[in-house]
Amino acid sequence: MDNKIKSGKDVINEFFAEILNVEGTDENTVNKLIELYGDNKFTDSNIQNALEELKQEAIKPKKIKEDGEN
Amino acid sequence: MAKIKAIKINGLRGVREPLTLDLNKKSILVYGDNGTGKSSVTDSFEWFFYDKIEHLSNEEIGRRKGRDALRNIFIPETEDSFIELTFDESKLDSKKSIDSSLKSFNSNETDDFKKFIASSFSERLILRYRDLVQFIIAGKTDKLKELQNIIGFSEVQNIRDLLKRNGARIARNIKSANYDNLKNVQQSTILENLGQNAYTDEQLFDGANELVKPLKLGIEIKSRQDINIVLKKIESKEDSELLNQINFYTKIKESVAQIEGNVDNIYNSYSTFYDSFNALKKAPEKVKNLQLLSLLQEGKSVLTKDVVEDDYCPLCLQEKSKIDLIQDLNLRIEELELLNKEKEQVDNNSKDLQNSIKPNISAIEGLLTEKLFEKEEYSKLKETVEEIKISLNNHLDESKKELTEKLADKEKIKLDKKGVEELTSELVKTIKKLTESKEANLKFKTYTKLFQSAKAYVEYLKIEKEQNVLANQQATFELLYEDFIKRQEEALNVFLTMFSNDINDFYTTMNPNEKVEDIKLVPLKKNDELVGITIEYSFFNETHTPPIAYLSESHINCLGLSFFLASVKAFNKESKFFVLDDVISSFDRSHRYRFAQLLTTRFSDYQVILLTHEKEFFELVSSEVKSKGWILNNFKWTKDDGTGIERGIADIKDRIKKKIEDKNTDGLGNDIRVYTERVMKRVALEIEAKVAYRNNDINEKRMAPELLDAVQSKLTKASKELKEKANIPKIKGMPMFIGNTTSHDNSFQESIEDLEAIWEDVKGLIHNFYCSDCDKFLSFKFYDNVENKIRCGCGSLKFDWKR
Repeated sequence: MDNKIKSGKDVINEFFAEILNVEGTDENTVNKLIELYGDNKFTDSNIQNALEELKQEAIKPKKIKEDGEN
Repeated sequence: MAKIKAIKINGLRGVREPLTLDLNKKSILVYGDNGTGKSSVTDSFEWFFYDKIEHLSNEEIGRRKGRDALRNIFIPETEDSFIELTFDESKLDSKKSIDSSLKSFNSNETDDFKKFIASSFSERLILRYRDLVQFIIAGKTDKLKELQNIIGFSEVQNIRDLLKRNGARIARNIKSANYDNLKNVQQSTILENLGQNAYTDEQLFDGANELVKPLKLGIEIKSRQDINIVLKKIESKEDSELLNQINFYTKIKESVAQIEGNVDNIYNSYSTFYDSFNALKKAPEKVKNLQLLSLLQEGKSVLTKDVVEDDYCPLCLQEKSKIDLIQDLNLRIEELELLNKEKEQVDNNSKDLQNSIKPNISAIEGLLTEKLFEKEEYSKLKETVEEIKISLNNHLDESKKELTEKLADKEKIKLDKKGVEELTSELVKTIKKLTESKEANLKFKTYTKLFQSAKAYVEYLKIEKEQNVLANQQATFELLYEDFIKRQEEALNVFLTMFSNDINDFYTTMNPNEKVEDIKLVPLKKNDELVGITIEYSFFNETHTPPIAYLSESHINCLGLSFFLASVKAFNKESKFFVLDDVISSFDRSHRYRFAQLLTTRFSDYQVILLTHEKEFFELVSSEVKSKGWILNNFKWTKDDGTGIERGIADIKDRIKKKIEDKNTDGLGNDIRVYTERVMKRVALEIEAKVAYRNNDINEKRMAPELLDAVQSKLTKASKELKEKANIPKIKGMPMFIGNTTSHDNSFQESIEDLEAIWEDVKGLIHNFYCSDCDKFLSFKFYDNVENKIRCGCGSLKFDWKR
């Protein structure tokens, strides 16, 4: 066996290091996942909560400006 | 990488008095009969590195990681039991102790040591016989789990599962929310009020400007703020009650329209659940057997942890090979796990059904709290709405049924789509009627229509945004999952290829010319999912799998051993040592020898601690491993001391030399006698000098006079030359050789000078029978039939010999 073998940790670290290069993904979602992994909080419930937060943030009605712009 | 200088154990398992193995980074072969405490060393070792003893961690002995059975029962409460390891890197030296309250502590608390211990969790340090074939006979799923565990891929699998699970969850949420239906409901409200759909701000503003044109307000609507300004301008407080009524009906209409758009979805979800539920129910016996799954898993655990040590079934107590039993259990467990997956699918279908119903039920429950429903005039409408809720709840109840129950027929439980459509249509008419009830009041009509369409448009945008966010999240998870599995599979394939090469190499080294070759670990996929690993090999150029079906137990053990050794090479990054505890029990003679050669040649840079209870194996490989610098030890067990080391010939010789050097006569005579007895026993064996028969262990207790007599008698018959050179009567007349078994330990008082002379004579005697050039005794194995001489291995020592 030699160094070509990657440990599980190597595979995961490489994935998160290059995750932003995966085409077609939503940047906010990916950044949130990187943050959770970095904080050692990459669990099912934390992911669900984070995704829900992102959704709520996105659909939150924006304040209508006085000049009529939405 | 670290090697061990010494192991010291005290008061752990079978070790009562301190036991020290001075290894000085060398490999060691230890022989000890069953019950002499070899496993105490392995257990203590396991506890030192892993803080548990796996085979003791069961209900019967105690679940506290085996600690309950760790301390030797004769150790005083005031005394700590311990194992102390010293390494070639002294910063790693540590003494791990456990007190009578079973509290344990390490003497080394440095980060270096903690890192070393942490890394050992991903290393392969110990192999016991009972664990040897676990991987080989395991099912494909367990093989994958086991392999992923040891290569640190369990976390990879966790991340992969998380990505997949979340992608699937979002997809289910999107499906059950039925966003297109929700958007259609809002668009139908816009269409009813504005006379056209509005998917963009421009379309909304165009429609709104058309709507307010008759009022000639002089305002052109260009923004949603403008809509608010117009609404404020034409609002009338007098019409609030009517407006409330219209809002009330609109709410009901929207909720009912949502249900209307969801009827087919609910029907389909129920059908999927119904079909999978009934398919599983068709095999009631199998379903019943699902309840046995945990029992079988526990049974397997009992067998693999060696709670039952002999070859019999712990339930029916009938004799059966343990390997066969575990293999049978693996097959049954695998079958039931498949069934369990079907059950999980039914559960998922049930959840999907619930998810598609619950939002509609919540909406109706919200409606039923409307104040207007308290009025008598709305009681009929309330009743209709409640009927829909009951129908939805019926679906919910069905989704929670157990497999033993019967599900309601799909067609019978189906929501009354026509009735729901009629209700929606009725509500639309009512709203229109109310809106136009003040036909003369253009302002009110315009206000209501503009208000409803603007509100529906905002709702439409919100739904669309939510749908887009979830669709993006779903796509993101799917893309990340695809990327991740590519990485995982690439890494796993690299590993499996290299790992397989090593396994194949080790196996074929131990089993040359047996036509079993090209052994591979092969990943198994189902629906593009990695579901397991199997072992393939070629036998007479034909591919076979799994191995258990075609290979003998000895070959399966060889495969297990090859797997472990390949793991050692792959994963031991900090520790350059490993323990093999009784791993060759089922090997035949040729496999045993090749195994020893494999260790001494291919693992010569590792420190091997090889324990065996098989005397034959010990003797077979002793010279092989000793010539490669290994240490040899015998373990013995005594009532007073528990496990200890039986002094070997080399040890006694070293001790004699040391005592003579130190002019220390204490026990020196006894040491010379014991040494002479050991050597003469070997001489008698090699030249086939006959001694009287004695049964079993007593056979081992031959006294020097008896052995010397036997050798002398043989020499008298076979070799005058050797008889004269050896001069056995001179040795036999020495004081320490005059005695019997009972006086064996009696010491006698001689001066150091006398003992030095005796030692020289003993050495002289032995040199007639032993060749230091080839490290072999004179032996019939090397008898020269041409010259009629008995020889040593290399021939530099030879004497005439009459057969």
